[in-house]
Amino acid sequence: MGMDGNKGITNEDLNERVQVVKIRLGVEWYGINISIVENIVRMQRITRVPGAEPFIKGVINLRGKVVPVMSLRLKMDMPEGEESRTTRIIILRVDGDEVGMIVDEVREVVTLSGDDIEEIQRDSKNAGSAYLSGIGKIGNDLISLLDMYEVLGVKTV
Amino acid sequence: MDVSQYLEIFIDEAKEHLENLNTQIMNLEQDGENMDTINEIFRAAHSLKGMSGTMGFKRMQTLTHDMENVFSKVRDGNIKVDSDMVDVLFQCLDALEAYVAIIQETADEGDNDNANLIKALNDILNSEGAGQEDSEEGASAQKPDGETNITGEGGDGKANANSGADSNAGQNNSAKDQANADAGSSAPDKHKWKQIKIGNVERSAIEDAEKEELHAYGISIYVQESCLLKAARAFLVFRAIEELGEVILSVPSVQDIEDERFDRDFSVIILTDQPLEKVVDAVKNVSEIEDAVGGKVVFENPSEVSKAGDASNTGASSGDSKAGAGAASGADGANAKAQSGAGKTAAVGKTGQGAGKPEGKKAMGKPVVNRTVRVDIEKLDSLMNLVSELIISKNSLVSVAETEIGGGSLAFNEQIEYLESVTTSLHESVMKVRMVPIESVVTKFPRMIRDLSKKLDKKMELYMTGEDTELDRTVVDEIGDPLMHLLRNSADHGLESAEVRAKRGKPEVGSIFLDAYQDGNNVIIEVRDDGNGIDVEAVKAKAIEKGKITEEQAEAMSEKEAIDLLFQPSFSTAKQVSDVSGRGVGLDVVKSKIESLSGEVEVRTKLGEGSTFTIRLPLTLAIIQTLMVIVGGEKYAISLGSIQTIESIPVEDVKTVQGREVIYLRGNVIPLVRLTKELEVESMNAPDADLLVLIAKKGDRFAGIVVDELIGQMEIVIKNMGKFIGKSRLISGATILGNGEVALILDANALIQ
Repeated sequence: MGMDGNKGITNEDLNERVQVVKIRLGVEWYGINISIVENIVRMQRITRVPGAEPFIKGVINLRGKVVPVMSLRLKMDMPEGEESRTTRIIILRVDGDEVGMIVDEVREVVTLSGDDIEEIQRDSKNAGSAYLSGIGKIGNDLISLLDMYEVLGVKTV
Repeated sequence: MDVSQYLEIFIDEAKEHLENLNTQIMNLEQDGENMDTINEIFRAAHSLKGMSGTMGFKRMQTLTHDMENVFSKVRDGNIKVDSDMVDVLFQCLDALEAYVAIIQETADEGDNDNANLIKALNDILNSEGAGQEDSEEGASAQKPDGETNITGEGGDGKANANSGADSNAGQNNSAKDQANADAGSSAPDKHKWKQIKIGNVERSAIEDAEKEELHAYGISIYVQESCLLKAARAFLVFRAIEELGEVILSVPSVQDIEDERFDRDFSVIILTDQPLEKVVDAVKNVSEIEDAVGGKVVFENPSEVSKAGDASNTGASSGDSKAGAGAASGADGANAKAQSGAGKTAAVGKTGQGAGKPEGKKAMGKPVVNRTVRVDIEKLDSLMNLVSELIISKNSLVSVAETEIGGGSLAFNEQIEYLESVTTSLHESVMKVRMVPIESVVTKFPRMIRDLSKKLDKKMELYMTGEDTELDRTVVDEIGDPLMHLLRNSADHGLESAEVRAKRGKPEVGSIFLDAYQDGNNVIIEVRDDGNGIDVEAVKAKAIEKGKITEEQAEAMSEKEAIDLLFQPSFSTAKQVSDVSGRGVGLDVVKSKIESLSGEVEVRTKLGEGSTFTIRLPLTLAIIQTLMVIVGGEKYAISLGSIQTIESIPVEDVKTVQGREVIYLRGNVIPLVRLTKELEVESMNAPDADLLVLIAKKGDRFAGIVVDELIGQMEIVIKNMGKFIGKSRLISGATILGNGEVALILDANALIQ
């Protein structure tokens, strides 16, 4: 990888390429665009915030900053998961603010080209699909690409 | 000439002058004869003109020039102040503010000539028909049409006239030196550089330089009295000199000169291979430099350096043929006398004179030399952040001391306590630096009310107190708009028409009050009027009409709840949308703005008698003293400012009144707030254990906040939780404890019903 790996790739190619962090919720794999990922940290003590929405698990101390943490499972209308050895908090920066998402596992960073991404039909019946920006194909595997702006309810300009 | 680096200073000062003008012109309308006011206006306008000229903002200069002419006539008694004239002057101020706003954004004044205003000003001038004697105070010397004059040397007659007297004043220490009479055109002790004490280091540098055919000269530079950006001028002088040589010594120090801590003159010792005349001419070419005199530095007794005082002073050589640079030559035998007579060092003399100059009286008590430094707010923010970090780190030390060492070492604990007191004072100092009086915001209000009075055709008067109340700079910057909204609201909706007031037996002129004061850890700002008050029924009717509430809801609504409707978006009870307020943008904006500053708004009103809007703002923003408590096993911080006392109450003393738990304490019935219930946790205490109750007070209301356990007092740094957490009524923020844990901050005010 590194500089050498990029040689021979034109700008146009680069524009179409998307790097995503591959995460797991239950048995399904999802991708989060790496451009908004700030950090990935282990599960840690979370301070509960009374009166907050159920999917907000509380706040953590991230190197001197107080950052809210959400359960991505609850946010995606999935049942709450058990905390395990692989559970991680993936710290995102969205719209200028940091927020942590609890996921069951973080696997790797994958690069998708435009051809690997399939657009999806927005299905009004399925709340989860509103959060997806497409389906990525990696060999025979499929990952759902998450639109975190949708997930967090932030209007994109 | 590059003046861009002085743009910020210019903008700041221009705003100050405009504010001052606004206030003074208000006063002028009240009392058109008051000479103090008129002089103050004249001075501010004159300064503004000079500044804009220096910066090359010609349109601004032209406008201020014409305003100054009007003021000049007023001062001489040739024109009487009337309301129309004040209107025009206010319009001029608005135009000037617009210039400054454009300058702030684009560093250019734009291309609006404001010809109509200039015409209006000239009409005022001509209406009086007196002769064109505006050369008074030298105004004509800087007529903008003579463009080359604007930054030209000695362009201002007044400055020259006064500076003569002034330099005499500054020279009183040498009054006895009659022996200097041979010095010719200018007073000999203009050569202040001769009083510079040259240390051994500089002296050897000079002697070395002389071996390399360099010359050491002393130069004293005099800035025009009218010069407004003295530091800027000094900077240009230094730059001019440095093109020709090297400055090795300066009195006052370069730092002091940059900070404008000098009176009107400064002296330098330079090394150069150029002739003295060339350097002096270069200095004089800098605009607003009134004079520069110099001579060659010669040591009288080269062998003996350490002889007391004046021996190490530089004596001017009597044989210096080059020193004829236009100014008086240094060929005065009396030089030594001048030095001994001067006694004190030049550097000390400067600051002393600055403060004590007789001119101080003329300037209406404002110190001539402002001993302040302008600091970028960002730098203060970063300082504040560092202090915050320090406090967090101190807190961790405290917690380490408590757990691991267990309070074993006395010396260690002493040091921790010391550290604690130092960080607390450091924090207080930084906060104080950030505090500014709300004056800068409220001074524009009398003018606004005046305009509103005309526009609405209602007679009204604004009374303000507590303008010197201080608040954090960031809060002061934000508070202007909400206050303006409230004042407009009072003027438009609050005060009744003249007929109604007459019917109600109220004085014809309505009163609006703006009172600011400090109350413990809060600052209170009240906007009060003696107008109609809020018609609760009208509010309800409007809410029903807008479909915000049903009639049943309206029935059940308390007065307070109804008034709260006013703070909802797009709610206006004014029957007619007026130009002033009543577009439905208003109180909700006020409320959200105040809340974003961690403050709150309260309304008290009595129909027919008036309303009071009370804004309560925290004194400090980032660091607060709190009480750490435990509720259901979780740690919370409660601002200490809202806690009055801590009580232990036996369970059997808790009574129930109308379904609510209350305690009776020292004559007050205080409702209990069980935090376990509010925070949805289970208490860890036995049900029959005594209750630990924090008595909180807000205004005249109390609440007893029940907690499980007390940890103690702690200074905490408030951390923002970001927008994704959603708004919580009870939680006002979070903090990081010494052990890295996050604790939430409870808003005690929200618990008081």
